[in-house]
Amino acid sequence: MEKKSTKKIIIGLVILAVLIGGFLLCYNKFAAKGTVGEKAIVIEVVDSNGISSEYDVNTDAEYLKDAMDELAASDSSFSFSGQEGDYGLMVEVINGEQAIYAEDNAYWALYVNGEYGQYGVTEQPVGDGDTYTWKYESAE
Amino acid sequence: MEIPIPGNMNLQNNMNNKVCFTTKDIALAGMMIAVIEVCKVALSFLPNIELTTFWLIMFTLYFGRKVVAVVPAFILVEGVVYGMNTWWIMYLYIWPLLVLLTWIFRKEDSALFWGIVSGIFGLCFGMLCSITYFFIGLSSGGVVAGFNTAFSWWISGIMWDMVHCAGNFVFMVILYTPIKNVMKMIASRTNC
Repeated sequence: MEKKSTKKIIIGLVILAVLIGGFLLCYNKFAAKGTVGEKAIVIEVVDSNGISSEYDVNTDAEYLKDAMDELAASDSSFSFSGQEGDYGLMVEVINGEQAIYAEDNAYWALYVNGEYGQYGVTEQPVGDGDTYTWKYESAE
Repeated sequence: MEIPIPGNMNLQNNMNNKVCFTTKDIALAGMMIAVIEVCKVALSFLPNIELTTFWLIMFTLYFGRKVVAVVPAFILVEGVVYGMNTWWIMYLYIWPLLVLLTWIFRKEDSALFWGIVSGIFGLCFGMLCSITYFFIGLSSGGVVAGFNTAFSWWISGIMWDMVHCAGNFVFMVILYTPIKNVMKMIASRTNC
């Protein structure tokens, strides 16, 4: 009985170690990483009326939130805010327009070069020449 | 007083052979949910550090099938308190899965063994949650979009899953033996 239990613990430890190693490898290989250096990007905001505002940004920021912070500091017509969570900032207000899912039944969707974004604003890497579109989207 | 409820509960009403759940069982289930909720609120300032895994394992080990009533009630309470959002869908299958795993290995009585199980569960939590995101992506852009959504969601949270794994492991290894002794005492006093 004792021997059987020890065997199960050893097997469990091996599984745990393999999983940790495998997950870390996946994280290192596939996690979004920012690139160092100057980049020219476009940040576009499409509001609830479908009106688009474009901002050309030259930045050294590696992640979108930092680039947006720089834009907000240099251009008074652009502003954003939100709530910090486990996975970074959840954008709730852009240019004064609020889109909180629970209150407004709408949200600010992030598109990268026209494709639906896979990361939050804090984790979204900035790439030279990319266009980041914030679109006000109503829940269906 | 015995209240007939559907499902495979451990007590039988001898008069009509209906499966029953006593008032004491209902009170006990309420206490279990209260313990989980209190610990959850107390640790809410620490991201991905929780005692829900620990308690569900202990309750399954020492109160057996009664936990069948605790899990759905706990999930319902969570939904009512915090709102039924995407995470709530994840809870519908994640916590029952933990109870099922615990039930399979219920004969094991080692803090280290359960520490490993809790650690693996915490580590795989994000991966299990990402199943829901697969279906969200699937509904908007097909299988590839579903996979991309689930995969990137899982990858971005891996470091938090590591924290979850470590927290679960440490809590179980430290608390297993003292809580086990208390559980045994309660179980014998309440004839559970």
